Amino acid sequence: MGPFMPIKSAIFAEAPSTLAVVVLSNEPLLLLSTDLQIIAASISFCNAFAIDAATIVGRRLGTLGNGEWNMPKLVSLLNATASGNAKIEAYEIDLKRPNQKTRQLVVNAQILDDGQKDHVRLLLAVTDMTDARATARLKDDLLNDKAILIQEVQHRVANSLQIIASILMQGARRVQSDEARDHLQNAHHRVMSISAVQKQLSTSKGGKVPLKAYMALLCESLGASMIADQDRLSIAVKVDDSSVEADVSISLGLIVTELVINALKHAFPDQPKGKITVSYASKGRDWTLMVADDGIGMPTGPATPKAGLGTGIVEALAKNLQGTLEVSCAEPGTAVTVRHNADAEGQTAAPSAA
Amino acid sequence: MKNGRAVVLVVDDIALIRMGAVDLVQSAGYEALEAQDAHEAIRILESRDDIDLVFTDVQMPGTMDGIKLAHFIRNRWPPVQLIVASGRDILEESSLPTGSQYFSKPYNDHAITDAMARLLQSKNSG
Repeated sequence: MGPFMPIKSAIFAEAPSTLAVVVLSNEPLLLLSTDLQIIAASISFCNAFAIDAATIVGRRLGTLGNGEWNMPKLVSLLNATASGNAKIEAYEIDLKRPNQKTRQLVVNAQILDDGQKDHVRLLLAVTDMTDARATARLKDDLLNDKAILIQEVQHRVANSLQIIASILMQGARRVQSDEARDHLQNAHHRVMSISAVQKQLSTSKGGKVPLKAYMALLCESLGASMIADQDRLSIAVKVDDSSVEADVSISLGLIVTELVINALKHAFPDQPKGKITVSYASKGRDWTLMVADDGIGMPTGPATPKAGLGTGIVEALAKNLQGTLEVSCAEPGTAVTVRHNADAEGQTAAPSAA
Repeated sequence: MKNGRAVVLVVDDIALIRMGAVDLVQSAGYEALEAQDAHEAIRILESRDDIDLVFTDVQMPGTMDGIKLAHFIRNRWPPVQLIVASGRDILEESSLPTGSQYFSKPYNDHAITDAMARLLQSKNSG
């Protein structure tokens, strides 16, 4: 009985409710005397660290298990805490046991005294962070892998588009016929228009394309390759701060590409100066896209050229965006407007639903 | 310069892109050379002294990518002008040697030939 005497006296002073709170704690907890004897241990502690719950009370911390809790750092910190000289807050320590993986613990210790200097106890909370850390690391790795994968895909898309663009331009440089060259160059512009969306997507968040930056890039690219004299012809971009889904931006971009190509080709045959304005404005779910020029205006009468591929693309995409297409005289010049009215959406899109 | 024409070395591991770039360089009136990676590019640069500009891709197989190649060239052959193109946005322009030009792929042919003309002109006047 001899060795148990001081323990009994320690336990003696403990209220049964205190012991019950410790024993039933979900968080692994130890209630210790200042000489690191265990007054109470939570069942969660015994389960987490494979200690026999029936015999734990009364043992010294250092003798638990195979002595793995006899960590000099921990002991010294607990002693310092008991004497009121230190406080253990989220202190990280490794628990090493033979034939088992090292566990990463986070310990918190607090002194409990009720004003009686001869009755000081320590409350030690031990959290095993090993699994949580491993999960966090795995998540980081997965996110990292995903980012690398996306970069890799973007890289491949960019290279594929570059191959297509290069082949079209080589074709355009080789053909003899002006009409064939024209078609190849237009095909090249369309590829570049879709590529510009890709570039915006790779820098934007959440898969949305900021239209202002996209349209600016698109028109700059069109201007650089189609306008020989930048002082004579210019393209202005007046777009609000809307961001749209990628596929919507591809459609809007292709419409602008076709209309700008058309204006550059036909609106300014002999004009000393000319300006094309691309504008987009939205309000709620309504939006208006307009490409206007200050050129010669629309041809009338029998000289009207027959609608080409560009017109077909614009009409198809405008319809797909549930927009109405309108061509008007801008005096001077021509304005082409695609208007989307959200209220009218259901009427044209799903007549069978009525 | 060779026979009064600027010499441009195109470096890209993808054959079709390299072919397109060579065609672009020739259409702009320059002499084109080609290499499929950084090491071949360096071998070519070591073997002749008439190369005015290197137009390189970034991601290439081997131990040296286009950015390292650009720095290597700037150190070893300072007068050679540099244009770097990459499919992987966004390359920090500060990671390239000063004075080099960066373009993201797919690049606009006119933008590349404009940059070439500008760099070659600055080289000759400077």
